[in-house]
Amino acid sequence: MTRYLGDDWILPGTDALTKRFFSAGRLVFQACAKCGHVQHPPTDVCGACQSFDFGERASAGHGRIESLTVAHYAVHPALKERVPYVVVLVSIDDAPGVRVIGNVLNRAPSEVAIGQRVRVCFEEAKDPQTGELLRLPQWEVV
Amino acid sequence: MKKRAVVAGVGESTYYERGRATESEFQLACIAIRNAVADAGLALAEIDGFVSYMEMRNDPMRLATALGCKQLTYTAQPWGGGGNGMASAVMLADSAVSGGYAKHVVAFRALAQGQFGRFGQARGAGYAAGNAAFSATYGLLSPAQICALQASAFMHRYGISQEALCDVAMASYHHAQSNPRAIRYGKPLTREQYHASRWIAEPFHLYDCCPENDGAAAIVVTTPERARDLRKKPVPILASSQGLGAGDGAGAFNERHFPIAHKSVVSKAIWEQSGVTPADLDVAQFYENFTGPVLIAMCEMGLAPPEGIEEFVANGRLLAPNGALPVNTSGGNIGEAYIHGFEGVVEAVRQVRGESTAQVRDVELSLAVAGPGFAPGSAVLFCAP
Repeated sequence: MTRYLGDDWILPGTDALTKRFFSAGRLVFQACAKCGHVQHPPTDVCGACQSFDFGERASAGHGRIESLTVAHYAVHPALKERVPYVVVLVSIDDAPGVRVIGNVLNRAPSEVAIGQRVRVCFEEAKDPQTGELLRLPQWEVV
Repeated sequence: MKKRAVVAGVGESTYYERGRATESEFQLACIAIRNAVADAGLALAEIDGFVSYMEMRNDPMRLATALGCKQLTYTAQPWGGGGNGMASAVMLADSAVSGGYAKHVVAFRALAQGQFGRFGQARGAGYAAGNAAFSATYGLLSPAQICALQASAFMHRYGISQEALCDVAMASYHHAQSNPRAIRYGKPLTREQYHASRWIAEPFHLYDCCPENDGAAAIVVTTPERARDLRKKPVPILASSQGLGAGDGAGAFNERHFPIAHKSVVSKAIWEQSGVTPADLDVAQFYENFTGPVLIAMCEMGLAPPEGIEEFVANGRLLAPNGALPVNTSGGNIGEAYIHGFEGVVEAVRQVRGESTAQVRDVELSLAVAGPGFAPGSAVLFCAP
């Protein structure tokens, strides 16, 4: 159970809206129960039909790197031993318009490039407050 | 055509390296306001409105009491935007005066990061709530990193090289060399130094990033009628705008249009209100806490198409006095001081007055564009009286 940025790094504080994304164990997005509109990040109102009722849409977890940065300067003391690290923005094949932020786990930062095809993988972490298992979406270059 | 309020006065405090201010943030705000009001030839007691942006800590009630204002009839600041609210503050002052809600409105920004902590640093580890959960979890924390994601995508899509970022940084450093107020005065930058400097967050080198500073800057906005009897030549606000496009308010890089500087709606409003075109501009200030988003903002404002932006900024075209469009002529956030762009608003007014330390000849149209990429965006266009 070793995370890309270290086991002591920031965890998502999950709530009713965000919990599934960070714990489902597959890539899922908020989807409107009335019109099917998929939106990310999740929020309380459907941006297409203004409904308050939501379900979710599972994704096959394939995408393309739309943008990236390699962070060299550690903006937090806990990252001093982790730089340089890569942060990518992934557009999701089966959820048009949705972009997901993550790290690439199977390549050195210098080997990651815009346009590369990626697939989702998961990093496990135990939420020390609730004891629940979180499964954080991450990415591997295909 | 909109009614035209005018800028009657501008002022600033001394600008300091972060943490070096000898005054408190509130005192810095009062110094800048006092200087702007004196520049206009007004009395502090006559100020009846205050506007700012970016969750200003120095509230108007405290200011009005400290400065001895006779009454207060207008206070406001926009939601969101961070530094992208810079020109929104001018628009609010413009609205207050043009609408008759106040007579002499101060728009300002003050920050003392020594006193209150740094804007460019991440807060403590632990849990990230709300939309931050989708970014902080993955080590995306600082404004530099966030702007880097916008810049990388834009540069990749349009084949823009590192040289274009270098040109934006060079313009700020070049102009700072003639401005004694500037933090980077007497510290010139070469292209070699730029390229040799360490990475902060690719594609940003050290010199793509502004320093962090303490200081304050302010302007006084009033009606053209009132300004006639005042000390300085009034500078009309020809156009001012705040704007957000459809679907562009979604967080975590899910704006409908990405990469984005949130200037497409603003751009349309500025050129429609003013009746002029980007080619008519004489000088411009572009908020550059980081160089990359400036290129996106320039394209959205209609100065050049993305395919032509690298050439637009190259070969000294951004340098006063003879460049095609001199940009950031006081040194901007990078060279003069990081006062969240308000030093650029002051500079845009000075260019119309002929008081800049890197003066462009016969300025008729002077633009100030906020930034970087946080929603919504804003811009203001000043003109010769």
